[in-house]
Amino acid sequence: MDLRLANHSSYPRIGPSSHEQRLRRAHAARERDEIDDTALLVIEHSVMTEIIGEQTAAGLDLATDGQVRWADPVSHLMAQLSGVRLNGLLRLFDTNFYYRQPVVTARLTRARSQLVTDYRHAQSATEIPVKPVLTGPYTLARLSLIEPRAYRRYHELAEDLSVIIAHEVRDLVAAGATIVQLDEPAICTGPPEDIRLLRRLFEPIYDARGGAEIAIATYFTDSDPLYPQLNSVPADVVAVDLTTSTSLAETIADTGAAKTLALGVVDGRNTKLETPALVAEVLDRILRRYALDTVYLQPSCGLEFLPRDRAREKLKLLGAIRAAFLGGGES
Amino acid sequence: MSRATLQRLGVELPLLPITSVGSLPKPLELVAARARFARGALSQRELDELASEAILFWLQRQEELGLDVLVDGEMYRGDMVAYFATALDGMSLGGLVRSYGNRYYHKPVITGAVRWQQPITVGWWHFAQRHTRRPVKGIVTGPYTMMDWSFDEYYPSRRSACLALATELHKEVAALVHAGARIVQIDEPALSARPAELPLAIEANRILTAGLDAYFITHACFGAFDTIYPGLLQLPTDNLDLAISQSAVDWLAVFRRDPFDKDLSVGVLDVHTHAVETVADVRARIRRSLDLVRPEALWVGPDCGLKTRTVDEATAKLRVMVEAVTAARGELPASASK
Repeated sequence: MDLRLANHSSYPRIGPSSHEQRLRRAHAARERDEIDDTALLVIEHSVMTEIIGEQTAAGLDLATDGQVRWADPVSHLMAQLSGVRLNGLLRLFDTNFYYRQPVVTARLTRARSQLVTDYRHAQSATEIPVKPVLTGPYTLARLSLIEPRAYRRYHELAEDLSVIIAHEVRDLVAAGATIVQLDEPAICTGPPEDIRLLRRLFEPIYDARGGAEIAIATYFTDSDPLYPQLNSVPADVVAVDLTTSTSLAETIADTGAAKTLALGVVDGRNTKLETPALVAEVLDRILRRYALDTVYLQPSCGLEFLPRDRAREKLKLLGAIRAAFLGGGES
Repeated sequence: MSRATLQRLGVELPLLPITSVGSLPKPLELVAARARFARGALSQRELDELASEAILFWLQRQEELGLDVLVDGEMYRGDMVAYFATALDGMSLGGLVRSYGNRYYHKPVITGAVRWQQPITVGWWHFAQRHTRRPVKGIVTGPYTMMDWSFDEYYPSRRSACLALATELHKEVAALVHAGARIVQIDEPALSARPAELPLAIEANRILTAGLDAYFITHACFGAFDTIYPGLLQLPTDNLDLAISQSAVDWLAVFRRDPFDKDLSVGVLDVHTHAVETVADVRARIRRSLDLVRPEALWVGPDCGLKTRTVDEATAKLRVMVEAVTAARGELPASASK
C-alpha cells in the first residue's frame, strides 16, 4: 500500500518572524492605497512559494497553495461571480474564524477562471503535485444568503454552483492538476437527505475531471453518520477528519472503503502534538481490511487555524506517523 | 424585570440605554507605545500612564456624546481572550492566528491547571468609575469563549477546561462586584459555536456569576443565535446582547414562538466597515428592535467592540447612534415607563 503524505488545504500565511509577516504588512499597505493589486500579488505569490517549500521540506507527496490569496473559504470564490454581493461577517462553523457572507442577488455567472493563475504559480514552485482545493457547491450554497428573485431554494443555487465549479475543475485539469479537492463540511450539518443532492452536485464535477482525481473532504463535524453515503458520491477520494469523531475510525474499519481514503490524522485545530505510535495503532485498525492501493495521510482540516510554527510541526508529524505505521521507529 | 434589578442596585437609566460594547479605538500614541512596550523600549508604568490618559479621553468623549453606560474602552487590553490568558496561571500566548481578513491574534494555549491569582481588571474599572458619575461596566471574557478560543494542551476535555475557567474567572467577577461594579458584562461570542454545548456554556456561566449581586449583560456577536434559542434564555443574565438588528433571521417570529424574557441589547452599528451609518438607517434598526421587546427592555449599542475603527470613525458612529436613539425616544408612547 502506498501511504502518501498530503496537505489538506489552507496554511498559515504569516509566521513569527518579520519576514514571515510581509503579507500582513502588504495587505495593510494595499488598504491604505500605498501599493496596487499587482504589487500585492507579487508578495502573495512569494508567500505561496515559501509555504510550498515548507511542505516539500516536511516530506509531503502532495502540496496545496495554502489558499494564500483567499480572504475566507466562502467569499473568495463567490465574490468573483456576478450576481453576488458580500454581507457582514459570520462565524465559520464552530471556529473563531469569520467569513463575509455572500448574498446572491441574481442568477450566477462566471466570467473567467478563478484559481488557475494561483495553481500555475504554485505548481511552478515544486516538483511534487499541487492539489487545488475549492469549497464545494453544497457548502457555498448553504453559507450564502439567497434573495428570492435569484433562487427559490439553496438546492437551485447549489446546482448552478456545481456547473460553475465543474468549469473551474476542467480549467484546472487543463492547466495540469492531477487531483482537485472539494471541501464540503456543510454536508455534515445539513439535513441527512441532502446527501442525494450532494451526489447530483458532484456529477458534472466528476464528468469534468478528465484524467484527474476528484476528492471530497468533510471536517469540523463528525462525519461518521454519513460515511457510508460519502462512498457513493461521484468522487475518487474521500477525505475525512478522524480527530473530531470518536467512532469514525471503527466505522471505517468495519465497513471498509469504496474509494481511496485521505485520513485526517493530525488535528488542524489544536496545537497539541499527536503521538505517532498512538495514531499508527488507529491506522492499523482502519487499514487492516483496506483493499485499495493508496491512502493519503493529512491534517484533519486546513492548517490556517494554527500558528505557522505549529503547522510546520504538524506537517512533519505526518512523516513520523507514516514511519511508526510502517514500523520505521520514528515515533 | 431587569429594570427593577438596576433600580435595586441604584442605577437609574433612561429608556433605551445607550452603551458601547467594550473596546474602543486606541489613540495612535497608545498604539505606538504598545509596540514600544512589546519591544522592551517602554516600561509597564509608562504604558499604563498612557492607557489611563486614553481611558480619560474616552470617558469624556462618551459623556459628551451622551452615552448612558460607559466603558473604559479596554485601552490596556489587546485581544479579549489573550488579555485574560496572560493574567491567569496555566495559560500562555501562542502564535498568531488569523480571525478574518487581515486580522490576526495571539491565540492562547492552556498548558497547565488554570489559576486566578489576583484581580485583573478591577484596578482599571476602579480608575474609570472614579472619573465619571455614570455607571461603568465591568467586562470579563466568559469561560466558554476563553475555552473555545484557546488551544488546550492540558485538560482532557472541553468540559473540564471550561468549568475550570469558570471557577477561576468567578473570582475576577466577584472582585469587580465587591469593588462596586453594578453592571458586569460577560463577553461570550463563542456561545453559538457548538449548539450542542449550550448546556455547558450555561453551566459555566452559572458558576461564573453564582451568588453575585449585579446586573449582568451577556454579549455575543456574529453567531447563529437562532440555533440556540430558546435554550439561550437559561443563561444566568439580565440582558442578552445579540447583535441581531441586521440579522437575516426573522426574530419577531422567533420571539412570538418563544417569548424573550430578558432585556435585549441590539447592535445597530456595523463595527467592521469604515462607512458611518446614517441616522435614518440606525433609527430603522431601532424601530425594528422595538417590535421585538418592550421599550423598557431594550438597550442600544454597536454590534461589537469598535477597536478596529479609527477614533474619528468610532466617534462619528457613536454620535449617529446617540442621535438616532434620541429621536427614537421621542417617538415612544407616553405610556412607556421611565
